[in-house]
Amino acid sequence: MAVGETGKTTYTIPIGPIHPALKEPIQLMLEIEGEKVVNTDVLVGQVHRSIEWLGMNRNNPVQTLYLAERICGICNICHPFCLAMAVEQAANITPPDRAEYIRVIAAEMERIHSHILWAGVAAHEIGFDTVFYLTWRVREEIMDLIEYVFGNRVTKAVLQFGGVRRDITAEQLPRIRKSLDYYKSIFEHLRRIFLEDRTVRMRTRNVGILSTEDALKLLTVGPTARASGVPKDVRQDQPYSAYADLDVKAITPDIVTGTVVGDVYDRIIVRLLEVKQSMEIIEECIARMPEGPIMSEPKMPKLLRLLTDAAGEGIGRVEAPRGEDIHYVRLEAGQSTLATWKVRAPTYVNLMAVPTILQGMQIADVPIVFASIDPCQSCTNRILVTDRATGRKSVLGYEELHRLSVEKTRELQR
Amino acid sequence: MERLTPQAIIDSFSKKLGDGFVSGSVYEREVAVKKNKFRSLWVEVKKSAFRDAIEHICHLQKYPHLAIISSSDLGAEVELIYHFTIYYGHHLEELSLGLRVKLPKSDLKIPTITDLIPGAIFTERETQEMMGVEVVGIPDGRRLFIAEDVPEGVYPWRKDETGPEKLLRVLPERKPKGKDKKG
Amino acid sequence: MNLKAFNRALWVYHLNTGSCNGCDIEILAVLTPRYDVERFGIRLVGSPRHADVLLVTGPVARSMEDSVRRIYAQTPDPKVVIAVGNCGAEGGVFHEAYSLIGPIDQIIPVDVYVPGCPPRPEAIIHGVVMAWAKLEKLVQQEVA
Repeated sequence: MAVGETGKTTYTIPIGPIHPALKEPIQLMLEIEGEKVVNTDVLVGQVHRSIEWLGMNRNNPVQTLYLAERICGICNICHPFCLAMAVEQAANITPPDRAEYIRVIAAEMERIHSHILWAGVAAHEIGFDTVFYLTWRVREEIMDLIEYVFGNRVTKAVLQFGGVRRDITAEQLPRIRKSLDYYKSIFEHLRRIFLEDRTVRMRTRNVGILSTEDALKLLTVGPTARASGVPKDVRQDQPYSAYADLDVKAITPDIVTGTVVGDVYDRIIVRLLEVKQSMEIIEECIARMPEGPIMSEPKMPKLLRLLTDAAGEGIGRVEAPRGEDIHYVRLEAGQSTLATWKVRAPTYVNLMAVPTILQGMQIADVPIVFASIDPCQSCTNRILVTDRATGRKSVLGYEELHRLSVEKTRELQR
Repeated sequence: MERLTPQAIIDSFSKKLGDGFVSGSVYEREVAVKKNKFRSLWVEVKKSAFRDAIEHICHLQKYPHLAIISSSDLGAEVELIYHFTIYYGHHLEELSLGLRVKLPKSDLKIPTITDLIPGAIFTERETQEMMGVEVVGIPDGRRLFIAEDVPEGVYPWRKDETGPEKLLRVLPERKPKGKDKKG
Repeated sequence: MNLKAFNRALWVYHLNTGSCNGCDIEILAVLTPRYDVERFGIRLVGSPRHADVLLVTGPVARSMEDSVRRIYAQTPDPKVVIAVGNCGAEGGVFHEAYSLIGPIDQIIPVDVYVPGCPPRPEAIIHGVVMAWAKLEKLVQQEVA
């Protein structure tokens, strides 16, 4: 038998679109030896909706803003925020200060809801369905608050070029404070569930490690990078909007544990602490918000005319819940669409880290490790596991993979 | 390497690349109530000096952060902008650096930078499939986003005849609005 | 509404054909204790072979067409298909894209449309209940 082929079995695991805790479909091809993963190939493209083409050819800029909201249903303040920053830089529009603060409040509320959502998904992947239901119940409080302040639970359409469309009035402030108090009271409970539970620690400690050097070379962003000790945070480094007045520090896990390991447990620490940080930021914003108008150009025809005549280019960089989001826009005079529009969502970059963090992992760990980068394409449509020697292909549904993950937890609990 | 001011960085490019350096500019604006500065740099280089420019950026910042490669179809040429950021990790210190390279449509080739920055692989693959730019030396040149049944030679970001107009699909009662007519 | 012919719980399979996740998150929110659809006997299953109802979201991306057809074929009769969200109903904001092959009813037949971008959890529950009633009728027709 040739060297390297002895004792290996290939199996192909296609995993069909699944059941809760799933987001977009994605294809992972895993090569395994025994129970361990030796190589991964990430195939994307199942959610390609040609958004940039639509923005450059079919829509005028304001329509593109609403299109940008639907790039992702979970983080739908960060994409319009980025686009608005880029177009404002290109067309030389300056939003008023009050609008900047409202934008930041919206972005931080979105961060809270996204991280709590992720915590529930991570718990589900480990097998703690009760925690999944608990965290999503907790999340409903922030969804209610978002609906109260901005008008809708998910797609809020609150941003506009040159400002925001809705104001936060003084009557709404007590309600915001009440929600923040609720979260403060429950934060300790969540922290104990995620950070002090013995089984969570056993499933996530030293699993899915991404070293600091790999994180820098593979250009990882967001909590995934910060958990590996790389203090990249756009709100700290190149503050935009009202963050320039605040003092936001990138959170790394050594604040809690004293060391940086870069595993799944560290990522849980970073995200939970960021929820707390977001609450503090919202409070500070409410305290400091200046009075004034909320739109630099409230009349729509004038705004569209301004954008059609403008020429220039601009970048918008925003710290989305999953990492750095960047949009590049080029405007040409006389064209009523964006001449060039490039979107780069954070998961695009974090996916490149997946082969590294899955290296050497058991199959039962694949769901939680993959979910720990918080992919905005989280659930694997198909996982193709190839085994080189026999070429035998067998199909394991996602159910099977999830079942393996849950079984491992039950075994650890014995 | 200690941190330089924006203008000093532009000058260092000009000095290092000589002829290959075409132009550079610093964009600054004030942000929010405290009026802190948001700064970004734009540097244009010739294709021949491209690799030297990348190495210079790696010299300015160990492990520079490449956000994305954007491409624009300007008619007879294609402009690629490599959006870097340097000096990250410190409050108010990070600078965006956009490295611009223009490629004529008759010769759409650019060398890969994955040997210096392994994380550039996805964005180079995307530029290859969406704009039709050949990245010379790329370790993995497969399509990233576009489905297999879309034929070769269709480049969605282009505004010329290789765009995807024929693949548009609308409901039977509607007509596609298609590309924007000028004016 | 008296669901006599259908004497067991309704099993739902969720299929994402390339959506932005907005609708999917609202579908998941329907399961959580706030809306708690499981008390009506509705539950999400992990395989189309066990399902009575297909809950489909998203404008269909080219690479997902095959999956959609296959899953529809795998689901046993009688079945009902619900298209959740504007994208699934008629394309939504993505109606002219080159990488999508049209709203869901161009690929598989759809029985109930729940419009919205994304629809509220209450609207999704309403849609599922309408589908349940329709399924009832289908089952009765089969028995008769």
